[in-house]
Amino acid sequence: MALVKPRKPVEPIPTEDGGDPLLRLEDADPARRRAAAHALGGRADAVDALAKRLPREQDASVREALLTALVLTGTADAARSILPLLASEDVGLRNGVIESLQQMPAAVVMPEVAPLLRSDDPDLRIFAAQLIGRLAHPDRLPSLIGVLERDPEVNVCLAAVEALMEIGRPDALPALERLATRFPDDPFVAFSVDAARRLFSGP
Amino acid sequence: MSDPANKDDSGLSPADYETFCTYLRERTGLSFTEAKRYYVDRRVAERMAAVGADSFRDYLNLLRFQASGEELQLLVNLMTVNETYFFREKYQLDCLVNSALDEVVRARRPGSRVRIWSAGCATGEEPYSIAIMLLEYWKRVDEFEIELYASDIDSRVLARAREGIYEERALHAVPQELVAKYFTQLDSRRWQIMEELRESIDFSLVNIADPKQVAGFQSFDVIFCRNLLIYFDDLGRRQAAAMFYEALSPCGFIALGHSESMSRMSSLFVPRRFPDAILYQKPQT
Repeated sequence: MALVKPRKPVEPIPTEDGGDPLLRLEDADPARRRAAAHALGGRADAVDALAKRLPREQDASVREALLTALVLTGTADAARSILPLLASEDVGLRNGVIESLQQMPAAVVMPEVAPLLRSDDPDLRIFAAQLIGRLAHPDRLPSLIGVLERDPEVNVCLAAVEALMEIGRPDALPALERLATRFPDDPFVAFSVDAARRLFSGP
Repeated sequence: MSDPANKDDSGLSPADYETFCTYLRERTGLSFTEAKRYYVDRRVAERMAAVGADSFRDYLNLLRFQASGEELQLLVNLMTVNETYFFREKYQLDCLVNSALDEVVRARRPGSRVRIWSAGCATGEEPYSIAIMLLEYWKRVDEFEIELYASDIDSRVLARAREGIYEERALHAVPQELVAKYFTQLDSRRWQIMEELRESIDFSLVNIADPKQVAGFQSFDVIFCRNLLIYFDDLGRRQAAAMFYEALSPCGFIALGHSESMSRMSSLFVPRRFPDAILYQKPQT
């Protein structure tokens, strides 16, 4: 035994013709749902069905395939369809949505996400700041600086500080200094601004 | 500072190139001369496009000031991918024969198949190293039928892999007794891997980003995909991870390069820490 000649060739396993993949998204078998999601990647007409399945989907591999399909579609509709899931209590789903939005075209996602910085829900504003920090978009810096200058919630501002430090833009330092004057008694702000000061003084 | 007046269309301006090389040398010790200009330009341009940097200055700021240092690490990874060699990152091969395969076959009858895939095999050093490690160090090697597949997107390197001829540099990490056992010396500079090993590996031309080409790659127990996905963007890595998920049997393992992390690509796999290395495992269900 030991090494044997592989059974050549590796033949594609015939795919079962299960009809419309949109219908198979509701199949009882996770493997068929996953295959359906893969087949629907990039199809603009499938955005609604993919997004509606997401919050009900319990299988992690199918959920990943649903999100990947929406990323492949990459339209404003696709981005808009999963934005409400940023408010989900399911941390795994929320993180998957943030990662997926980050992988869609920044020019498409930014106009959809930026309004969330004015949401009444501070948690949503935090997620929006985190996401905007990861979008390669020219409005990223002014949006995050706007958070530092205007958002009343310190935790939202700290999320923006973290995002700015990750972007690596020392020209944000004056805004960070002003943040320290907005929350003079908050030790976390003082610590974060000090960390940014040290970081931006450069190696 | 960018110097547009001095910049040509093919890459960084001379001043930017010098700034970049000085920075990289000071931070990492990596040194690139003017002779490596094209190599450096191409990789910097790739990363600038990937992060959406509008100018070299923006990109240098990201490298200098990013809190996590992630971009610098990514760039260093790209700059340090050298030609491969036998037994590269051997701790993962040790992990295969000391831990992973024993777990794979735990519930299998002797005589059943074990399938291993070296994805992005280049000139063949990795799959041949796997074969030698199995034959030399896996105690249960004779109890199972082991199928070893290797693939690459480049037909030229595959032809060299099938030929199995290597120079001393590729063999520097192979113990002398194993060189003598598995290679034939052709002349003062070249050694050829023995015919039996060459014939026991299936080399295929495969683009792992093409679902049709990988549709038949199923039921693998272990996949090696090392230092290949660093050339993919985030979405490409995510799609590759999904493809490997379909290609693996439940509880199968995937090994990535030392600088790569599956958790940054996909949530589909579970990291498994073994004494020799960390592998990523497809869950049972």
